[in-house]
Amino acid sequence: MIKRLRHAPLPLLILLLSYGFWVSPDFKEIAAGVALFLFGMLSLEKGFKAFTGGTLEQVLRASTNRLWKSIAFGITSTTLMQSSTLVSLVTISFVSAEMITLAAGIGVIMGANLGTTTGAWLIAGLGLRVDIAGYAMPALVVGVILLLQRSKILQGIGYVVLGVGFLFLGIHYMKEGFEAFQGAFDLSGYVIPGILGVLLYTGIGMLITVIMQSSHATLLVIITALATGQISYDSALALAIGANLGSAVTTAIGGMTANLGGKRLAIAHVLFNVMTATVAIAFIGQMAWAVDYLGALIGLAGDEYLLKLALFHTLFNLLGVILLAPFTGVLERALIRYVNPAPKSREKPLYLYPGALETPATAISALRKEVGHLYDNAHDLIAHGVSLRRSVIDSEQSLAEAVKNTRRIIPLDVDDLYEARIKSLHSDIVAFISEIQGRELSQQSVEQLYALQQASRDIVEAVKATKHLQKNLSRHGLSGNPLIRERYDTIRLQIAKVLREIRQLRSQDPETVTRLSLDALKLSVEKSGRSFTTDLNALIRSRHLSSSIATSMMNDENYAFEICANLIEASHALLLPPTRAEQSAEGQLALDEQDIARMAGGNSHPRTRTHTDENEKTAG
Amino acid sequence: MKTKRLLARLAGFLSADQTAQREELKSIRKVLKKLKAKERDLNARLEQTPPGDEYEEIAQKLQVIYAQRRKGVERVRALKGRTPQDPLPEDQPPP
Repeated sequence: MIKRLRHAPLPLLILLLSYGFWVSPDFKEIAAGVALFLFGMLSLEKGFKAFTGGTLEQVLRASTNRLWKSIAFGITSTTLMQSSTLVSLVTISFVSAEMITLAAGIGVIMGANLGTTTGAWLIAGLGLRVDIAGYAMPALVVGVILLLQRSKILQGIGYVVLGVGFLFLGIHYMKEGFEAFQGAFDLSGYVIPGILGVLLYTGIGMLITVIMQSSHATLLVIITALATGQISYDSALALAIGANLGSAVTTAIGGMTANLGGKRLAIAHVLFNVMTATVAIAFIGQMAWAVDYLGALIGLAGDEYLLKLALFHTLFNLLGVILLAPFTGVLERALIRYVNPAPKSREKPLYLYPGALETPATAISALRKEVGHLYDNAHDLIAHGVSLRRSVIDSEQSLAEAVKNTRRIIPLDVDDLYEARIKSLHSDIVAFISEIQGRELSQQSVEQLYALQQASRDIVEAVKATKHLQKNLSRHGLSGNPLIRERYDTIRLQIAKVLREIRQLRSQDPETVTRLSLDALKLSVEKSGRSFTTDLNALIRSRHLSSSIATSMMNDENYAFEICANLIEASHALLLPPTRAEQSAEGQLALDEQDIARMAGGNSHPRTRTHTDENEKTAG
Repeated sequence: MKTKRLLARLAGFLSADQTAQREELKSIRKVLKKLKAKERDLNARLEQTPPGDEYEEIAQKLQVIYAQRRKGVERVRALKGRTPQDPLPEDQPPP
């Protein structure tokens, strides 16, 4: 639906909405509620992203690394907040920001379903009802104040608080808008015996919850209807099942704005609630008997329907958790396998068009520009991969300061970006080269084609190495241990320097620039690698670092070397001088690997690039 | 005899080898000119930079340029048939 809306022409959408606003003030309120709600979700996600790689992530990971822990986390947080919707939505944000795994998210959702039953006990037992919507206004005010602060952490908290405020405000408006329809719930009018009646009441319970945006509110309606004799006890049980299903609808709406991880979790929530409801409906007679039996055991009188309803609510959610918890891993794998991203608009080549194939010169010129385009895409991806904005790399700002002052690791789906922005373009480049090779070419053109194809491959290798590095960087990059943090800062700084230097060289006048400038970069990378290893060995010797973390660091330094070396090689082809004689002259003056190794530290053993996939097995 | 020598000279002058050598010499000089300009630039920047990481980086770049120019000058001398001398003319090694 949302996807269709996205593809619908915007003017048509605005026209339809305007008509709706004009015809019905209730529609206006509902639409505003949905808009605020979705904005709240976006805000929440943005806020949590500020904490990626920080303490909150560590605490969350530690609290959800086992299934029982995630379930306990869900139960506790929902009991404290008295809103399974909020906990589910926040969990979707966590999964979206990759702060917790999908399996952990499923555990938290299960726990939240169980935790929400404490609300029924509070309402039934103490007559308490926590009105979370009352917190919306203060949350908005506090959120904005925090947003205006300089500290990134405070701004992150501001976004979270603001998100919660907007969620509540959105729910409030949706409720207000739907109030006009509440009078229609004359439950006595739908008395149908048998399974059809159960299904009908389940549907009604779901509808009421979707409209009222609160399963607690639905429980109140059920209790009132039960007390006034509008419905039978059996129908009340079916309504409670429906209320549970209805709460998943809100999560599903929230999941629409989330990324792939969030969407998978929202689907898991709906699946979990639907399966639980199916089992509960199928065994509603047995469940009612179990409630009576357990109620008698804990001393509930036969007519204490309020507490019996709470007991039923708890029992069937518990049943759902018991039945489905063993299959969390299976569910996670199935979701990852079957819920995949919609094919994204793949990066289109900017310069490769059939007309460019007319002459070898135009073809090679177009190809060089396209490899440059691929390099630019890789530049952005790698900059984000080391958690630095492109604007920082392109500016005059001190890179050392920027690296040192990094407060969060930029969350990045390198696989996704690689598929969409690198691999597709690389394939187009390779296909274009095959086309050119089918024509008559001079030796010089053949060499240039080879150099450009190799450059394209080098860029792809650099991105692959970034993927491996980014994984460990998000884990250790902002480590609380200064020794670890400093080493990762060194790695990030080296990559950033190479990115900046190449960017500057490529932006200079081709008449004044020479590929020989890349030799200084090679030397810098070589020296940095040597000093990194010496430094690390000293730390292992003095037992300041465990050898396991040091091994991870060595692997990561190797990835950094791969990134830098491949980028430097690729830019060799991009900075090619116009004439063959100049190319040859530059070749004669260039420092070879032995020269560089000697200048870097005495011995003349150069460090050579390896294929990324070979490193994969040994990555820490 | 005179005509014979003149013809030999002309043949040598027109030979592909010599043309290529002249072309090479020209290209190397062009690259050396670029390097020299870059070296001047870096030296000016070095003077403005206080000791620290940036200073080290510039000094390192100068070292690389020095090594490259040295290779270039040696090649020019070889092409002109002279013996290499040390150090580079008009230059001191970088800091």
